Amino acid sequence: MAGLFRGSTVVTAIVAVALGAGAATWATRTTDQATRPAGPRTTAGKPDFGGVWQTVNEAQWDLQAHAARPAVVTQRGVYDYDYARVPAAPVLALGAAGGVPGSLGVVQGDGQIPYTPEALAVKQQNGENWIDRDPELKCYLPGIPRAMYMPYPFTIVQGTDKIHMTFAFSNAARVVHMNAVEGPPDDTYMGHSVGRWEGDTLVVDVRNFNGKNWFDRAGNHHSDALHLVERFTPLGPDAIRYDVTIEDPKVFTRPWTISMPLYRRLEPNATVLDYNCIDFAEEFMYGNLRKTPLVTHWEGETMIVDITRKIPPGDKLHEWYRR
Amino acid sequence: MARRILEALGVAVVMMALAVFLQDEASGQTPVPSGSGGANAAKAGPAPTTPWGQPDLQGIWLDEFDTPFERPAQNADKEFFTDEERTARDDRAIADAGRNERAGLGSAQDVAGAYNAVFTSAKPTGRRTSLVVDPPNGRIPGLTPETQERNRIDQEFRLALLQNTSTCKNAAPGCRGGKYGPPSPRLDETAPFYNTQRMNRHNGPEDQSMGDRCMLGTTPDFNGFRRIVQGPRLVAMGVDTGQGQGYQRVVYLSGSHPPKTVQLRHGDSRGRFEGQTLVVETTNFSQTFPYRGSSENLILVERFTRLNAKTLEYSATLTDPTVWTAPWTVTQELTAQNDEQNRIYYEPRCHEGNYGLPSLLVGARLDDKAFRAGTGPNPASHDTATCVNELPAAREN
Amino acid sequence: MNIKRAIGVALAVAGLAGSAVPLVAHHAFNAEFDANKPVSFSGAVTKVEWINPHVWIHMDVQIPGGKTENWGFEAGTPSVLFRRGFAKTSLMPGTKIRVDGYQAKDGTHRANGRDLTFADGKKLFMGSSGTGAPYELSRPGVDTDRK
Repeated sequence: MAGLFRGSTVVTAIVAVALGAGAATWATRTTDQATRPAGPRTTAGKPDFGGVWQTVNEAQWDLQAHAARPAVVTQRGVYDYDYARVPAAPVLALGAAGGVPGSLGVVQGDGQIPYTPEALAVKQQNGENWIDRDPELKCYLPGIPRAMYMPYPFTIVQGTDKIHMTFAFSNAARVVHMNAVEGPPDDTYMGHSVGRWEGDTLVVDVRNFNGKNWFDRAGNHHSDALHLVERFTPLGPDAIRYDVTIEDPKVFTRPWTISMPLYRRLEPNATVLDYNCIDFAEEFMYGNLRKTPLVTHWEGETMIVDITRKIPPGDKLHEWYRR
Repeated sequence: MARRILEALGVAVVMMALAVFLQDEASGQTPVPSGSGGANAAKAGPAPTTPWGQPDLQGIWLDEFDTPFERPAQNADKEFFTDEERTARDDRAIADAGRNERAGLGSAQDVAGAYNAVFTSAKPTGRRTSLVVDPPNGRIPGLTPETQERNRIDQEFRLALLQNTSTCKNAAPGCRGGKYGPPSPRLDETAPFYNTQRMNRHNGPEDQSMGDRCMLGTTPDFNGFRRIVQGPRLVAMGVDTGQGQGYQRVVYLSGSHPPKTVQLRHGDSRGRFEGQTLVVETTNFSQTFPYRGSSENLILVERFTRLNAKTLEYSATLTDPTVWTAPWTVTQELTAQNDEQNRIYYEPRCHEGNYGLPSLLVGARLDDKAFRAGTGPNPASHDTATCVNELPAAREN
Repeated sequence: MNIKRAIGVALAVAGLAGSAVPLVAHHAFNAEFDANKPVSFSGAVTKVEWINPHVWIHMDVQIPGGKTENWGFEAGTPSVLFRRGFAKTSLMPGTKIRVDGYQAKDGTHRANGRDLTFADGKKLFMGSSGTGAPYELSRPGVDTDRK
């Protein structure tokens, strides 16, 4: 992909044809070596990605192309049509604030995620059981690549041999090791990232996942065999093109790629304010274990919501927390 | 402005990128191997500089020594241990089997002993008699009258929750200042202030300590590993406080603090270099995460100075006139760790594995249920807060 | 152990522990586990969760009557072990170990691993060559089996 910015017109054209239809395609341009995208550089001549960044798209809802939806969890409406469903009970009270915006999708190529049949069934069940299963609702560490496109800012601090990213969401972080380092002693939520430069592109190899994360709120998932290759390429001083090739032989039949811009937060004094959600999630996670229930009843003009909490028996309770 | 300068530099050096890279390798930017049993500063190389000319603070840093936080009053003038004293303290630590020594089978204390001592760590004694170096007597200044009163009210509530336990019946230290009696009428009161410590009640998550809720870890931290990654405009510090309860801080080398209404768990940090020292001022701390009782009015000024290749001097001055009658300062020397090993677990993930919190809440609900059914004791009579409890007074080794 | 010495031990080890959360955190074990339900098992490891704040060791245990039950035991935090070079491969499924502990109050097959040893009696995770992290004190019987 680095060649896109240095190669000849012919190479660019071939690449443009190869990208094909279906998914959002990148505008190609010809640039020769002397006119690289302007942007800060390190003293070693590499792009300096330091700063406050954020993704602006709809990938966090669903990586694939989709029209807007009434809610993340829906149920059959009056009609049987997919496009006429209604919000399910837990999210009904949010009205139009609880809907899912539409998206052209970030999955490259034919826009499909190549699940095995078993894994596809799991994805569908995940979507139907979003509230019980999505680790985001528990404020669990979001994993990579999800943390990169959640709707919260993050800092990139580019040091001499490490690149440290801190995410607003739950103060999650990742370190990209640019120098020699041994692997982690155990599998991780945020992966073990090893990086190198290919021209102006930072290429990061990420492994050692524990398989507990999702890619988005639609239930797209992976296993502990997940392996990512990320590419960060400057699109100018204030944007980075972020491509991720995803492979997981336990879940997908072949590698697939997502792609999106990351945007620099340009306002003066741009600062990442932490979204420390552990205590935000406590009522959700433990409210049913209180001596006296706290959240039980809400009344509006057209709606009365009565909450019934239950405690799953025995080991089922503990399994809920392990997801 | 800085960006344009860097761009100009970038264009100028692009043809020499390879040469610059090789130069960087040679100038000591590769990981520093860790010393064994304490770094000898005389042998360490000089303090490195980043390629863009700032003192280089990067690496994984740890205070490799155990130093008491404060000096006992009788040691007020004694700033350093003698070598014999250090050896004696180390000998005691080495001989101490800790958790491997079990209390009686079936005692609450044995349950609290939890697991083998191999999960704990013992560091050798440092030179200094205290981490607090100012005031010169090595003790934190006195608390303001308002804070003392607040602590008294808070402690009174906690003791009320212990009133009916054998901790109080046996006048154990956990009940100091309290008395024994029937279950207190205050049992179901809301805690007088936002609770961060363990208490003898489990009505919900807020009754648990911050450690139990996996929200431990405040700034400043003097115990944990710190990984510093430094860029020209931002410095990141990942802190591993142990038990997966670490956190990240970002120091902005520009800009200004947010409005006071924005309260952050680790505050908002703005830094600048003064000569060889990075001076960081942090404010906007959150009332949910006090440090020794100080939060929204805390002004923390930290100084990071790379003394040599292996040593980082870290000093923190805390000022909060609503809590302490004077500012106070801690200084410690941190030693570079080998960051090729990656054994220090940098993924703080306590919350994700916190099976203990729902489990203990369920346990408390079962105790409540048994009491209501008449098949179990009043939970108020059990001490699940302090360590030393329910020991028959006559028991001795 | 009399009360004074118990405090002395608790405070001394608290001061020496490498983490900011020394022993104090674990007194909540009394809320979670039942002193009146001690358990003692030998069995084979099936899975180890090297998670924080506590490692969980899952074991197949034979109970009287010939049945096999799978139990989970809560141990300490992995951080200190990782620093010494232990990794997820350090306790593989199939290893025979012995656990003494106390069952969870909710009656599930979970307990705290009060004392964890290999089948031959050697304490689990004790470094046989006495190596800790380079700066650590090495405690005989705790970190090393050397006297």
